[in-house]
Amino acid sequence: MSPVAPLNSGSQTTLDHVVVTPENVVLTFQLAGPGSRLGAFLIDLVIRMGLFSAAAFISLTAGLFVFSLSMAALLVVYFALDWLYFTLCEGFLRGQTPGKRMFGLRVIHESGYPISGWEAAVRNLVRAMDAAPYLAGGNLGLGVYGVGWLAMLVTGNFRRLGDLAGQTIVVQERRVTVPREPVILSKIEPLPRLDLGRWIPPITTLALIEEFLERRLVLDYGRGHAMCRDLARVLSQRLEYKGSKELVERYPMAFVARVYATFHPVEAGDDWRETEPSATAGKIGSNPSSRGESR
Amino acid sequence: MNKRLFVARRQADWKAFEALLDRFQKGKRSQWEDDDVGQFSRSLREICQDLSLVQSRGWGRSLTNYLNDLVTRGHNTFYRAPPARLQGLKDFLVSGFPRVFRRNLWYFITACLLFFGPLAVTWALVQHEPDLARRVVPFQQLEQAAKSYESGTNAGGSSWGKTRDDSGERVIMAGFYTQHNISIAFDCFGRGILLGVGTAYTLLYNGIAIGAIAGYLVGTGRHAKFLTFVISHGAFELVAIAIAGGAGLVLGHALLHPGRRSRLEALADRGREAIQLAAGAGGMLLIAALIEAFWSPADIPDLLKVTVGILMWILVAVYLGLSGRWEDRAS
Repeated sequence: MSPVAPLNSGSQTTLDHVVVTPENVVLTFQLAGPGSRLGAFLIDLVIRMGLFSAAAFISLTAGLFVFSLSMAALLVVYFALDWLYFTLCEGFLRGQTPGKRMFGLRVIHESGYPISGWEAAVRNLVRAMDAAPYLAGGNLGLGVYGVGWLAMLVTGNFRRLGDLAGQTIVVQERRVTVPREPVILSKIEPLPRLDLGRWIPPITTLALIEEFLERRLVLDYGRGHAMCRDLARVLSQRLEYKGSKELVERYPMAFVARVYATFHPVEAGDDWRETEPSATAGKIGSNPSSRGESR
Repeated sequence: MNKRLFVARRQADWKAFEALLDRFQKGKRSQWEDDDVGQFSRSLREICQDLSLVQSRGWGRSLTNYLNDLVTRGHNTFYRAPPARLQGLKDFLVSGFPRVFRRNLWYFITACLLFFGPLAVTWALVQHEPDLARRVVPFQQLEQAAKSYESGTNAGGSSWGKTRDDSGERVIMAGFYTQHNISIAFDCFGRGILLGVGTAYTLLYNGIAIGAIAGYLVGTGRHAKFLTFVISHGAFELVAIAIAGGAGLVLGHALLHPGRRSRLEALADRGREAIQLAAGAGGMLLIAALIEAFWSPADIPDLLKVTVGILMWILVAVYLGLSGRWEDRAS
């Protein structure tokens, strides 16, 4: 689909919801899984129970003076928390209940727009059906969301029946504040041109290297090199690399970094990578005894 | 162009757009300036272009993700639904709801058959043979209902027992009816998603139960009290339940007979009308709860009650049948 597909196809595909905007741009939303949605639901449940307890306390206190009115108010509060809480929150708080906000979830229309009050109402009135089967007590009991769970698995993009009827999806919001700049590669020496053949690696390969090196700190030293070795071997073969075999076999990360530096030269006045501490720059090719230190 | 050069050149704009986004998402509408809106629109389109450029060049996922999120937030802000207005609520009540009702009249009629049909049959059978009621409704509930309609008391229909302080009890019942009846209506709507079977079950169940109690009360000689009690709010209450049922059937029918669309498309499309029916039914039940709690059990001559009751039925029929028709023609 999108030109970057080769980089992120595979396990990610089911979590992505792709939308084409009126500007003809392909947008990708990350769908929220059942786990975080359950978490958000439980938070909301606690909030609703807390609100009801507060209302009950107030109405019992007030009941000493105006008994009937406070009882009636309590029943109406119960109804509102039972049926209207989700609709009102999602309708007025731009698709988020307090629980969803806590988990960074948001309900949106499947075409990427914010939902309207009607859509919020549809998905949350059908909720009663999704919540089945109920633990003891019919609709007064607590739903275990068996139906909703099943629907999420079957639809493939985590939509329960209410989402299907309201044409909504629940997305996980990422807040990436600054573009994550790639590693400092400026201090890495390019490979000597004489050691290389004519082949020039495609830009996607360079992007892959960049991304790998950017995230190298989540791996420990040995693991990072081990994972990189396959790429390094293939690259050295395609490049007809005539330099030291040891570099490719023992320090594959250093090798691919140097490949990157060779074909993606630093240009003048080019110092936008302010986020990376420069101290880690030299660590890529340093000796194995520094394992773990770079974290 | 080199990726680095690209980022270096565009980064300032992205940051500016982020700041603008924060302002738009958090700030009040009245504080926006004209220039901001123009700037926002321009920036959004520029960043859309940046995103497609990055996507087509394959410049890595972190940059794509970042721009993707910027455009997502921009998209969400730019294409936001118009804010809800009080005028919209008024329009919905005056003309929107009755129109949607008339557009989906056949669903309502079907729901009526499923609801009033069993109600009438059960009523007739039980009135003839009151003992049959025990097979449908628990005995205690029957006893309680019967007690409520003993002549001489005013606590009609209440399950809260009799108290001296009538008005207090009525307030409580208003709350109870609101909670109980609207829950049934919303449930009835939501269950429609099970191909309409859930809705049909709810309608049949409630029809039979209500019919059994009514037949029992009339069959055991409490008709005067009972009929004058239910006639007023029944207009709103029973019709609203049937409307909510019709809304559920809309969902079920969309799934069963989607026409030239996918089932999911049909469901989402028809769901937009169905929810309006359900919401309207909720509103009617709110009115019904108030009538049922304050007017129906009041100590008023039977003749007046029956007259008002009949007027209520006419009012509901006129509202659903005619309201908003003139605007239909005008447009």
